Amino acid sequence: MGNLLYLYGLIPSKEAEQSLPALKDFDGNGDIYMIPVGKITAIVCNLDAENYSEEMLKERINNDMEWLQEKAFHHHETVLKLANLYTIVPLKFCTLYKNQDSLENAVIENEAKLLDTFGLIKGNEEWNLKIYCDDHLLKKQVGENNPTIEAKKEEISQLSKGKQFFEKKKLDKLIESELEAEKNKTSEKIHLQLKGLALRGDVKKAWSNDVTGRKEDMTWNSVYLIPKTKVESFLEEVRRYEKDMKEKGWKFEATGPWPAYHFTSF
Amino acid sequence: MYSTRETMANKEIGLIDILDVILDKGVALKADLVISIAGVDLVYLDLRLLIASVESLVQSKMEGRKTISSEEFDLEKEALIDATGQPDKWKN
Repeated sequence: MGNLLYLYGLIPSKEAEQSLPALKDFDGNGDIYMIPVGKITAIVCNLDAENYSEEMLKERINNDMEWLQEKAFHHHETVLKLANLYTIVPLKFCTLYKNQDSLENAVIENEAKLLDTFGLIKGNEEWNLKIYCDDHLLKKQVGENNPTIEAKKEEISQLSKGKQFFEKKKLDKLIESELEAEKNKTSEKIHLQLKGLALRGDVKKAWSNDVTGRKEDMTWNSVYLIPKTKVESFLEEVRRYEKDMKEKGWKFEATGPWPAYHFTSF
Repeated sequence: MYSTRETMANKEIGLIDILDVILDKGVALKADLVISIAGVDLVYLDLRLLIASVESLVQSKMEGRKTISSEEFDLEKEALIDATGQPDKWKN
């Protein structure tokens, strides 16, 4: 059945003069290589169509975490190495083309958009920020410093013991919702300030504790496109938040620089 | 001395962070991963499957350490007492 093409990324052909380092392909057997398509050059490898049918990919992604982990790391590491050498529009995991023609057509169709995108990401870096919060610590503060809750507490203390039990349950719920509001407000404020240092900033969905496997809640997940000259100040700022808010139960985790997955599309 | 950027850039990154970035809309969203394969130009591969497997991975990891600490035990005990109504609370 021949070969499929696994597409890692697209770079400006001007930069393709710098030769590709030897990088192993998706299967670990061959090397990755370039396909020039006018002003744009695709970085790809061959994949045996028989081993990589749609069913096989679904099956593997669905049931074979070990495979997913190995291949996701391969994809990530390869694109990261390329991003250190070229201005690259990175492709998502497992972007496959049935043959060179279909890849070339896709590139030609999107040429103008791709050239714009190179302009946008050149000289900039993508960074991710996740904010975590220890609810237990924060809940105590909200419970102590929030006027709505203070008033409610006072009201409850006047009630009979039996009524107090149920009212306290309700109060816990109130604290819970005030807490969520407080967390969001604080995170958003930080996000807007950090966005000021960036070219762009977007909010992503925060993950549940099932996904993170952590006891602290993820309250914020955001991504920024930052001029290289401003990355240091951005990270210093994150560090300052971390230092100032640590004792109140907040944690800040920045990762990067990522290939600009979020701020490009193909 | 290393700059903050260099320190951060060399930090280890977990699989979940990578998946969140390299999969189309991240691990937490139900999204479609575009693949172009075998005669059909664009095939949408439902990412919900993938999310399910990421979550089951995390869960199976968590089940691996199911010993309960005395702190957790106390918390559960408290919750039970709470749910049944504390006996001495009603004595007055």
